[in-house]
Amino acid sequence: MFARLVGESFVRNPRRKILTAAALVVGMAVATATLTVALDVGDRLAREFRSLGANLLITPDSDTLPLEIGGVDYRPVDEGAYLDEASLGKLKTIFWRHNIVGFTPFLDVPAVVSVDGVKVHTTLVGTWYEHAVLIPDGTKFKTGASATHPWWKVQGHWFHDDANECVVGAGLAATNPGVFSVGKTINVAKSENVGRTQSLTVTGIVLTGDAEDRAVLTPLSVAQNLSGHPGKTRQLFVSALTKPADSLSERDPKTLSAKDYDRWFCSPYISSISFQIRQFLPGTDVRAIRRVADTEGRILARIGLLLWIVTLAALAGAALAVAATAATTVLERRDEIGIMKAIGATNSIVAGIFLAEQVLLALVGGTIGFCAGVGLAWILGESVFGTPSSLRVVLLPVVLGLAAIIAIVGSLIPLRHAAHFQPAPILRGE
Amino acid sequence: MFTRLLWKLLHASRGRLVVALVALVSGAAVISALLNLQFDIERKLTQEFRTLGANVVIAPPNVTSAARSAAEEPALIDEASVWKVLDPNLPKGNPRETRVEELKPQLEFLAAAPYLYFIGRVAGAPVVVGGTQFGAAFGPFGLEPTWKLETGGTIQAVEGSPSCVIGRNVAKQLKLSVGSPIELQYLDQHRQFVVHWILDSGAAQDSQIFVDLRAAQSLLGVGGQVSLIQLRVNGTPKAISQYTAHLAALLPQYEVRPIRQVTEAEGELLSRIRLLILSMVLLILVLTGLCVLATMAALAMERREDVGLMKALGGSISRIVGLFLAEVGVLGAIGGLAGCIAGVALSHWMGQRVFGTAISARWEIFPLTVALMVGAALAGALPLRRLGNVKPAVILRGE
Repeated sequence: MFARLVGESFVRNPRRKILTAAALVVGMAVATATLTVALDVGDRLAREFRSLGANLLITPDSDTLPLEIGGVDYRPVDEGAYLDEASLGKLKTIFWRHNIVGFTPFLDVPAVVSVDGVKVHTTLVGTWYEHAVLIPDGTKFKTGASATHPWWKVQGHWFHDDANECVVGAGLAATNPGVFSVGKTINVAKSENVGRTQSLTVTGIVLTGDAEDRAVLTPLSVAQNLSGHPGKTRQLFVSALTKPADSLSERDPKTLSAKDYDRWFCSPYISSISFQIRQFLPGTDVRAIRRVADTEGRILARIGLLLWIVTLAALAGAALAVAATAATTVLERRDEIGIMKAIGATNSIVAGIFLAEQVLLALVGGTIGFCAGVGLAWILGESVFGTPSSLRVVLLPVVLGLAAIIAIVGSLIPLRHAAHFQPAPILRGE
Repeated sequence: MFTRLLWKLLHASRGRLVVALVALVSGAAVISALLNLQFDIERKLTQEFRTLGANVVIAPPNVTSAARSAAEEPALIDEASVWKVLDPNLPKGNPRETRVEELKPQLEFLAAAPYLYFIGRVAGAPVVVGGTQFGAAFGPFGLEPTWKLETGGTIQAVEGSPSCVIGRNVAKQLKLSVGSPIELQYLDQHRQFVVHWILDSGAAQDSQIFVDLRAAQSLLGVGGQVSLIQLRVNGTPKAISQYTAHLAALLPQYEVRPIRQVTEAEGELLSRIRLLILSMVLLILVLTGLCVLATMAALAMERREDVGLMKALGGSISRIVGLFLAEVGVLGAIGGLAGCIAGVALSHWMGQRVFGTAISARWEIFPLTVALMVGAALAGALPLRRLGNVKPAVILRGE
């Protein structure tokens, strides 16, 4: 009987239900879209933040103090400790290996460049542009300055990581006009008297906006051979996707309880990633580059919070729309309620019928709204981040539950109102 | 008569109107709060980017690293000439927080710190020493707010102070801690300093020692000269590049260049986040608008009986529709205004919660929100036009 009453109400007057259903569909579509975006905005923005470049710097632990002014290391090449190039592949074996987006080694060698009889003292910066690194599991990972220094712009093209080629910093090229043009061959030597020279072909002029503008960038192997330190490097910049710091990440891992330690270890905080790197590369010092890491963490946390507030606003808006339409439905159906009550329905039966209708509507409206919302989130992800948001089926029950709660809560106030209806005056038409 | 009827209408059905009014007020509150946010987000975000540190460098022209090889003096820049251009009314003392007048609307904040670099020796070991103004470089409003200082006290800039800041690596290598005395040697000059702070920057500065600029200048014998000046300019990427160009024109003798790592990423991130917030705000605007529309449509449908009665009493349809449109219009206006005020409070809270500073209310939001609300309310009442076909007798009979 109850089911028939509910069913009849849908069949007899479908138009009346459309308004509520429409409110639910729109509300839930927006809720789904905002929830989807809010859920993965952290990951997506973290990826965007990689345009800031590396957020971790790895140096040998027992290194002497670098004498670096304006990005140029004034230390003699034979001084200080080095990192092994061969062990760098281990970075992709740590627990959070998938969060390591890229890493680039740097080896600075003071050098004399002679070209067309002009001798210029400068620095040779050995690095990778797009180097295939051998990972211990047998695969290869392409990384280099293209990943960690995305703001470097080159005129011409980059050197090949295995060729005797180089790119010249824009500042150096500008101070020696006409000397460093693309296609020229330059000779580099460690110093004027030492015989060991190497010819390199200039393939491009690079604009970095930093100290490298006054240097010559070469493949790492070239700088290694010239300095007499094959297979070694001095600094390693690592770009990793991280989670904003919170109260847990700020604590010293040694003081954490076993459970908290696991949680810390298994979260991609910058502190836990650097801890894991230190374990795999013993004898190194891994530091978060504070400017980048702190700024990133704070902005990510703020945008995340902001989006949750906006999502709440969307949910509140949806609840309001549904509540408003539910209130009208009850008011419109005063006559019906009067008759039901007159023939003996209790308040709870009347409320039951209405709530059952609302929940049914919520399920239908919620499902349609979910589908629309997924489409909306897809478009949103595509337009904002260039890649569509992934479908999260987990959200379907959440959205349906939300729709049901909103629909029920929205009808509660008018139903309480309806409980006070007296059948007689209503049926008299008052 | 019209106003009396309108008043009666509003007064008599208070109960129902309250529901609609609640919907209107909350809708308007959400809309105005989000609009406020949307207009303020760029400023808030550029302020957040401040922690990225310097984004513009003023350096001597054409310093190639070639210059260092010989006994050649490294090129320096005259401090006073730069400060004069940066701000003629520059306050004495730190932090250097100034505004360049003609770019004021787009540029929010400006911090600048001078550096004089040289290679000195501490206990026989060579180390890079930077002379700077502590407050301007490391202070809470200085250039590098993310750098951590391990210290017993706060940074205070004392001219010629014998205190120094040492990088974390320096402290480790030379086994120094807060309070240790160090003797800094440059050529044949010696100078005593006391370690006051240990710096953790995660960058090259961890291997450097910083002393007061005046002390460094007197040690090197180069009064009033510095190696470079770093600036933090806040604003949209366009405003920053305009500012850089402007500065370069005023200082033709020096090289003024933006630090591309920072400026490029900033611009990119700013536009992404703005687009994200904008699209979310638009979604919610549409949703809230629809919600108000639905509420008003429901309210209008309830008026059928009143319309029937009025028609029976001889009211012309245009007059009746006018009456109801006036009713929803008034409701929309009241709801919009009240919602705006609630929205200001909401955005204030949101700003405090998310950014730690309030989002300032913009007066443009008020008319915009009220207009939106009245528009949505009137659109919701459009079904009333159909009342033209209403047969009074049918309605009055209660069918």
